[in-house]
Amino acid sequence: MSILFVVITAAFGLYMAWNIGANDVANSMADAVGSRSISLKGAIIGAGICEFAGAVLVGSHVTNTVRKGIVSPEALGGNPEAFALGMACALLAAALWLNCASWVGMPVSTTHSIVGAVVGFGVISAGIGAVDWTKMGQIVASWFISPVVGGVMAYLFFLIIARLILGRRKPAKAAPRIAPFIAFFATMVVCLATVYKGLKHIISGGASWLTGDVAIGISLAVSIIVALVAHILIKRYLEGQEERAMHDQLRAVEKCFAPMVVVTSCSVAFAHGSNDVANAIGPLAAVVDVAGTGFQTVHTEVTVPFWVLTLGGFGIFLGLATFGHRVMMTVGRKITQISPSRGVAADVAATTTVLVCSRLKLPVSTTHTLVGAILGVGLARGLGALNRQVVQNIFGSWLLTVPAAAFLSVLLYSLGSFIFLA
Amino acid sequence: MSLIQELFGESPFEPLVEHTQKVHECVELITPLMDAAIEGDYEEIHRLQDTVSETEYEADQVKNLIRENLPRRYFLPVEREDLDHFLHCQDSIADSVEDFAVVLFIRRTEIHPDLVDDFREFVEQVVQVCDTLMTAAEEMQDLAETGFGGAEADSVRESISGLGEDEWKADRLQRKISKQIYELEDELDPMTIIFYEKMLKALSEITNGAENTGELLRQMIIKH
Repeated sequence: MSILFVVITAAFGLYMAWNIGANDVANSMADAVGSRSISLKGAIIGAGICEFAGAVLVGSHVTNTVRKGIVSPEALGGNPEAFALGMACALLAAALWLNCASWVGMPVSTTHSIVGAVVGFGVISAGIGAVDWTKMGQIVASWFISPVVGGVMAYLFFLIIARLILGRRKPAKAAPRIAPFIAFFATMVVCLATVYKGLKHIISGGASWLTGDVAIGISLAVSIIVALVAHILIKRYLEGQEERAMHDQLRAVEKCFAPMVVVTSCSVAFAHGSNDVANAIGPLAAVVDVAGTGFQTVHTEVTVPFWVLTLGGFGIFLGLATFGHRVMMTVGRKITQISPSRGVAADVAATTTVLVCSRLKLPVSTTHTLVGAILGVGLARGLGALNRQVVQNIFGSWLLTVPAAAFLSVLLYSLGSFIFLA
Repeated sequence: MSLIQELFGESPFEPLVEHTQKVHECVELITPLMDAAIEGDYEEIHRLQDTVSETEYEADQVKNLIRENLPRRYFLPVEREDLDHFLHCQDSIADSVEDFAVVLFIRRTEIHPDLVDDFREFVEQVVQVCDTLMTAAEEMQDLAETGFGGAEADSVRESISGLGEDEWKADRLQRKISKQIYELEDELDPMTIIFYEKMLKALSEITNGAENTGELLRQMIIKH
């Protein structure tokens, strides 16, 4: 019974992860694909690897929030079976809602779906008090804050690029001096989020030497190396260009940003994997945990099993490989006005915001954060024409998604408990 | 439909440069038109008038396309009103060139030998004012690329800073020709005088249009 239940939930989780891979990953890579800095094939391979790495290395934090942070297992402590059933129903409800929404062409966030669904089952199974409303308040606040913070950061990054590189009399001379700082910052963010707790998963023996200080040291060293390499490569590429006409210099500098935007878009994919894998495997982790005790107790202090993270990463990869390339192609075709320099500014801002949220265990929407970042670049006068209606669509989508997913989850849980628990 | 996909509209700056280029093509026909009028080559005037009319129509189409692609919900790096006025003003330059061509086309108006040099000088000044503006406006894409700031914006602003003075010079040349026309009034029939005045009016409207377009370009760069 318990094995079968885990397998079924794992299938739901895989399906949800597939959904994420098919629909969301294209957004993460949008800046690199839209600016024609990478081929479609390259984007899929890069995104696949980075999503997987993000999920496996940093995915456990948000996974724990979905697993036990929103609905406290203690509230259902007396009834581990109900907890497991509820999590499975929440997962199915979120996946079904996602399918319905994309079927009618409405872009909804997987994050909001799963959070709504988990809240729904919590309330119906153990009353309003089962939901940790403080945590829930933090999560909802982060949905407001993450696009705004992404926007402000992207605004500043683009101003730095525009004023200190593109706006100079000789952009080709300024680029090798300034661009490495951006490379340094981006690398530092990814390393800091990854090295300390992330590597402990995969290094056998727990890696006791890997303390916070060592992690910072490693991150610094890697970032400095990356910045130096960026400096050398850009300098070599722009050698002798600084005497050319302004128009040609600007073209050349944009070309320098092309490899950078590939890397930064991959880091958005990494951040996306680290945050959104939880939407698929958070409930699964809860079920695996409960099933492991023969449905006797609900643990609160166990780590997310490695195979569960891997399953999530694999599911995302599968979705990307089977369906995501089509979405990526249409997204890339539509957003050609983004250029590599804009992409770098938006990507670095979105990566930083999402990775910080991942480490703070907050499930946020990567797509919404990236939308905020792109709007930030627009406010800094960096883009041609942006549709401000999308902002309303974002709020509209989660105001609808959270209750809808919660309602579906309530429905499924009522049905499930009638069949299995009665 | 992905949110990121919905977020992006069509950038107006590439078609804006295309519009500038179309208007520039019209402006480049002013001198050949004047030359043909001086030589009394009406076949050539007919042909040029057709070309101006066609090019003006093409510019109109680009203008309409830009406006259609920019519903109010889009957020731009320049003030919406400035962009609309800029397009309108730049388009009026092509309209005035067409007016000039039509004035030459509808009546065979001989240019009096005493007026030839002054007309040539005036036309040269008109074309120069337009060239200054168009060369600056054709930088629009690079301006957008640099976020409308820094060295590129400074150089464009500097290049159009002299437009007002150039327009004033053109005005002065126009007054000079007007005065001369009335000095020759005994030799000219009234209809010819009317058509000279029509030619002058069309030409001076071209320079006015160029000056106003330049002012709007400046406003778009500084954004307020």
